[in-house]
Parts: sequence; structure tokens; C-alpha cells
Amino acid sequence: MQVIEKKNGTTLTIYAEGRIDALTAVDFGYQVHDALDDGDFVELVLDFVDINYISSVGLRVILELQKRMKEQGSMSLINVKPAVLEVFAMTGFTKILTIV
Amino acid sequence: MQKKFLRWLFLVVFCAFLLTFATSYLIQTNQSEKIAISLIKLKIDDAKNQLQITENNLNAIKQMTDKIALVKAKILAQYVYEQPKMLSSPNRLEKIKNLLDVDELHISDSKGILIASIPEKYKYFDMNSTEQTRVFMPALSNPNFEFVQEPKLRGYKDGIFQYAAVSRISIPGIIEIGFRPERLEEAQKLANIENISDGFRIGKSGSIIVIKNGVIISEGISNKALDEKEKQNLLEKSKNFNNAFKTKFGKTKYICVSEEWNDYVIVGILPESEMYLSRNFVVQALIFVNLILFVIIFFLIFLLLQKIVISGIWKVNASLNKITEGNLEEKVDVKNVEEFEQLSEGINSTVGALKNAIDAESKRLDGELELAKAIQHSALPNIFPPYPDHDEFEIFASMDPAKEVGGDFYDFFFISPDHLAFLIADVSGKGIPAALFMMTSKTLIKNLAKTGLTPSQLMTKVNKQICKTNAQGLFVTVFFSVLELSTGKLVSVNAGHNPPLIKCSNEDAKYFNCNSNIVVGVMNDVEYTSVETILAPGDYIFLYTDGVTEAADINEQFYGEERLQAKLNLLTSKEFSVESVLTNMRGDLEKFATGANQADDITMLILKYKGFKKNIEHSERSKTNQSSLSLPARVEEFPKVLKWLENLSEDAQIPEAEKTKLQIAVEEIFVNITNYAYASDDGQVEITFKVNNEKQVEMKFSDTGIPYNPMEKSDPDITLDIQDRPIGGLGVFMVKNLMDFVGYEFENNKNILTIKMNF
Repeated sequence: MQVIEKKNGTTLTIYAEGRIDALTAVDFGYQVHDALDDGDFVELVLDFVDINYISSVGLRVILELQKRMKEQGSMSLINVKPAVLEVFAMTGFTKILTIV
Repeated sequence: MQKKFLRWLFLVVFCAFLLTFATSYLIQTNQSEKIAISLIKLKIDDAKNQLQITENNLNAIKQMTDKIALVKAKILAQYVYEQPKMLSSPNRLEKIKNLLDVDELHISDSKGILIASIPEKYKYFDMNSTEQTRVFMPALSNPNFEFVQEPKLRGYKDGIFQYAAVSRISIPGIIEIGFRPERLEEAQKLANIENISDGFRIGKSGSIIVIKNGVIISEGISNKALDEKEKQNLLEKSKNFNNAFKTKFGKTKYICVSEEWNDYVIVGILPESEMYLSRNFVVQALIFVNLILFVIIFFLIFLLLQKIVISGIWKVNASLNKITEGNLEEKVDVKNVEEFEQLSEGINSTVGALKNAIDAESKRLDGELELAKAIQHSALPNIFPPYPDHDEFEIFASMDPAKEVGGDFYDFFFISPDHLAFLIADVSGKGIPAALFMMTSKTLIKNLAKTGLTPSQLMTKVNKQICKTNAQGLFVTVFFSVLELSTGKLVSVNAGHNPPLIKCSNEDAKYFNCNSNIVVGVMNDVEYTSVETILAPGDYIFLYTDGVTEAADINEQFYGEERLQAKLNLLTSKEFSVESVLTNMRGDLEKFATGANQADDITMLILKYKGFKKNIEHSERSKTNQSSLSLPARVEEFPKVLKWLENLSEDAQIPEAEKTKLQIAVEEIFVNITNYAYASDDGQVEITFKVNNEKQVEMKFSDTGIPYNPMEKSDPDITLDIQDRPIGGLGVFMVKNLMDFVGYEFENNKNILTIKMNF
């Protein structure tokens, strides 16, 4: 899956489209981490407007990102779809993540 | 260039030669004339001198003669005075006459009448009576009179005669003697200019012409008499004293100079031939020498030019020719002269730069070709099995492109739930135009096929479309079939493609007798025709392109139709999967072509019809909504699972939200099995899908791996803070939460996990 990065000073916005599942999650994670390595960002924004599916593998990746960003700043998710939100809720991730 | 230069060189040398010749000729001519004229003038001077001398002599003689004449006359006068009586004695007169050596004696009285004469006939002659004699009359009155009269011609024969007289002593009277002045006469003759001129030569054949009072009196030694016209001409021209003029006497040309002398006009003439003698000689010698000289120069220059320039240019040209013919390694090597060295180096470095540019460009082009090939390849369906839920048939296809981007393609798709279309095609040509043409053809066929046309209608329409936009003149061979799954009926259209092989069970493979229509893309209004046949369960149909039959070995022998037929026969007799059949076929082709390059795309598609009985079974099962999927427990297989699940979910009309939940659950379970069930990659997992009472989905996952009950796993604590949350362990938890029922059992050595979801 293709990840689109938007850099705005110290804020990195990541936009992705499709599914974060067993096939795509790891690669998604790599791309975001690479983008973070490319600069000094204190804020990471994940735009989930076109993400319609996430499985446990995806959750793992999001958790890792959250843990990293806690060290260097903050992370938030925007435009999260209901189906995905339900998964976050079910697994208690709504507590850990900043969902806007 | 050589010819042009030679022509010019020759022209220049020739002109130089002419110039030299003309100049020396003119100078020589001028010189000769000057010399001739001065010679003539000299000669004329000589003549004049001669004449002068002679004239002087003449005068001297005349004077002398006159003197003698007077003396004689005086002696006679003395005689007469001393002996007057002799006047009456003719004898004594005669004697005195002889003594004096004269021819006549005349003595007159005081009135001038002759009283004594020898000859006697003159006695009583009156001296006053004629003009000639009258001149002596003054003797009568002047005692000191003495006079010698000019010699006068006396008749034609008598020559000249002269009279001299003195006056008589003491008595008036004329004493006259008459005589023939022989010496004078002789001298006069000698002094005759005509005689002189006769002896005058100028050069070898030049001479003198004398003119007196407008009359030519001497024509020199030229024997030929001048005619009137020539004489007149000469008279005219000779009036121009001291200036040379040219004239022609008879056939000879002369150069002439005329001068005045006393009463005469002296004209010296010299034949032009004599004048120009030396000139001609010099000029001839000059021509000869110059000719040799210029010929030598000409050849020298020619050879020099040839050696230095032309051969150099030839060599450069030869090298350049090799380069333009394509051999960019050729180096120009002409270094005999500095200019050529520079030229050589210039050319070589240009060619070198050109070569580099070409290399860079071709590398770039290779990159583009690779990309095009990859794009093309990915456009062909390459997920197998493509319809795992369809048991009516098995299908497998492969395309191995040749080095350059190729034009083969295959395709298969459903045009209705009961009809599967499949095709193979071969685009003419290679490279990017063929690739683009392939893409558009493939898309066109698929799009039009889905509009419900029969195969023949489809091909006709496809052909029309392609002909319309086919600027490049490419064409494509196509074999297109539609298989009715419920009956095994196969409707095919062959547009110029290799006929496929059909292997019926219990029979040998044989070539399908499908009438061949014309290839697609060449003729606009062709009506394509189709053939029908029936496939029985267990029958194979094998499509291929000519890259298969025309695969060549190192001896350039083709694989051929027979070999293909035999091999297919063999492979389909065994219980190989369709994939294995093609793989083996590919292997055999590779073995055959060892050592040779692959010239064309190798494309094959095989379909095994398994029969509609199973279909009915399947559809019966479909009625109870149970399907099963069996596949290796590998993460890469997951897309198949998803696709299978998607189709079934669609069929069962499960709402979106529930579909997603189901997908997540299936993913979690499947991934767990792939990760943990088997030690190696060899395990299978079987998944079943069933709809109960149309409102509940029931799925079972069974594997033969390590016994594991996921239900035993405790739930993760989802209330933990982030730093305390472990990364894993969510899968089963999610399944439990998403599904309405999760159950596990271990039966027949199999882990069986069951999930149910209401929708």
C-alpha cells in the first residue's frame, strides 16, 4: 500500500488507503517509521479517511508507532471510519490512541 | 576533386605557357623588326655615302673636264690670234682639232656668225639663233668670257656632247670647241644610281628601290617585276620618310624604309622571312624548352598533391565510410601532414562522443523496455487458481516473454455465471508498439465480451474497432473460446491463430479442427465464424502461441507440432495438475532449446473441464451454502482466502459491517494457523463456509498441525496503559469479540476451530 507523507514543519501527516492487514501492515509500519526517520517530528498525524479495515497485525503496528511518538512528541488519528473505530474500541485502543 | 584540380592546374600551366610564348614572341618580333630596320637604314646610309662619293667624283671629273675644255678653248683662241690665216684652211683646222683632241671647232665673227667650223656644215651658223648656242654670245662683248656648257644628250646613239667657249683674243668673236666628255660620260654612267642600286644588297635577299620624281627607276635585285598596283602602293607608302612600313610584292612580304636623297627617294626593302629568321628560331627553341619545363612542373605538382593531399583525403574518406556504415570503432589515422592529423583527431573524438551518446541512449532504452515488459506482464492474470470455488474446471496459464517486449497475451474471465471466456493471442511485431497494441486489444476483447455478444459477433466487432485505429499496420492472431460450464459446450473463434490441442480422455491429443478466419486488424469488414464442440469431463484444451512450436534448438530445428502433441498427450495422461502440465511442458521446451536464445514469447494456457456433475453437486451445496477451500498454511495464500471469502459473502449478501468483522476474524485465525500450526511450510488448512438459515454464517478452520486450543488463551488486559501493553496477543481476543460463537475441538488428529456470526 502506498503511503503519502505530508511534512509541515515538525508535523508529519501520513495518509494511506485500503486495508491494514496481515499482508500490508508490516510494510505500512516500515514506511511510516522511515518517514519519521527522515526528519525531526514532534507530531505524527495518521489520516485514516480511506482506511476501511484493520486487523490485529495492524493494531500491533499502530501500538509501536504510538509508543515511539510518546518518546518524541505526540500521535493522533483523524477521520477514522466506524468499522475501524469499533475495532479500536473493542481492543481498548481508544484509550491509548488519540482519535480525533 | 582530383579531376577538377587537374583541369585547373592544366589550364593554369597552359595559360602560363601561352603567356610566356606570346610575350617572347612579341618581344622577339619587335626586336627583329628594330634590327631589320636599322640594318636597312644602315644600308641606305651606305648607299647614300656611295652615291655621295660617286657624285663627288663626278663633280671632280666635271670640273676637271670643264677646266680642260677651257684650256683647250684658250689654246685655240691663242692659235687663232697667232695665225689667223688658219681660219681659212680646213686642213690646219683639222690638225688643230686633232691636236686638241676635240670633236668640233667653231669660230665666229663679231656678230656671232661662224666663219670657221669643223664639221664644215656649221659654217655661217648664227650662234644667236638657238637658245643652246646663244649662251656663248656674251663672248662677243666680254673679252674675258669663258664658259663650259652642260653636256647635252645628242640623239640616242651619240651620247653626251659638250661645248665650251672663250672670247677671241683682241677681236670680238666666239672661240668654241665641242667634244665628247668620255670620262665624264663614263663617270656619269658609274654614278648612275641605277647601277649602284643594282649592286646593293640588304641582308641576303633585301635590296634597294630608287624612285625619282615619282617614277621607280630601279627595282633592285628582286627579279619579279612589280605590277602597277604594287608600284602605286609603294610610291604612296614611301612618301613617309624614315618610318618603316610593310608591303607585299607578289607573294613575299617586305619591310621597307624610305629616305630622301637629293632628287631621289631611296627605299630599302627586306623580306619579312629574313627579318624574322632569328626570331623564329628563338621562339621555337623557347617553346620547346617551356613545354618541357611546364610538363615537368605539371607532373611535379600533380604528384605532390596526390601524395600529400589526395591520398590523405582518400584514406580519411575510406575510414569515414566504414564509420557511416556502422563501425564506430573505426579510427581515422592519417598523420602525414599536420592538418590531416588535426582532422583525424577531430573526427575520432567526434565519433567517440557519438558512440558514448549512443551507448547511454541504448542503456536508457533498455531500462524503458524492461519497465514496459514488467507492466505488460503484470496485466495478465497471474493468480492461480483464479476461481477456487469453481470445480467445473481447472485453468492455468503462463507467458514467458522473449528478450524484447513482446506481444503475446492470454486472458480469461466470466461473462456470466455459467460462461467462462478464455483466449490466447499473439500480436505481430515486437517492442513498445506491439506491447501497446497488445494492451488495447486485450482490453477491447474483454470489454466487448462482457456485453453479451456471441464469440463470432465479438470477434467481428473487435476486428472493426482495431482496423479503425490501426495506424501502424499491426495485427493480432486470436483464439477465443466460451465454455458453458453446465453443459461443456465450447464455442470458439479462431482468427489466424495456431489451432489448439484437445485431449479427450481415452483418446490421444489431437489438433482442434477450427476453421481459421483472417487475423484481426487487417481487413475491416470480415464476418468471423465460430465452431462448436462439446467438452466431456476430464477433457483438456491446450492453447499456445507459435513461440512454443517455433522454439529452436542450437541447430535451428523447431520444436514442432508433433512434438508438442506427443508431449501434451503424455503429460495429460498422468494425474498432473494443470499447473504441473504447463510447468513440465515449459521444462521440456527449455531442455529442447538449450544453448539457443529465446526468439519469441512462449505462452500457454490449459483448461481441464471437470464436468457439470460436480457443478450440480456444487450448486446443491451452494443451496445449502457450504463451500470449502483447502490450501497451504502460508501467509501468501491469504489473498486467496480473502477473495474466496469475498465471493461467498457477496453471494450470501452479508452486510458490509458484518463482512468486515468476518474478514478480520478469518484473517486472525488464518494468520495464527500459518504462524503456529506447522513447523515447516508444508501444512494445509481447510476452511469451510456455510450459511445457516440465511442469517448465520458458520465457518470451520481445520489443520493437522500442533494441537492448540486458542480458547485456552487468556484475554489481554485492554485497560493497560500504552507502555504496559504487550505488542501481541490480540488475534484470538478479537475473534472472540467479533464473532457470536467460537468453538474448538480436536478430532481425527485435526484442530478444528468453528466460528459463527449472525447477520
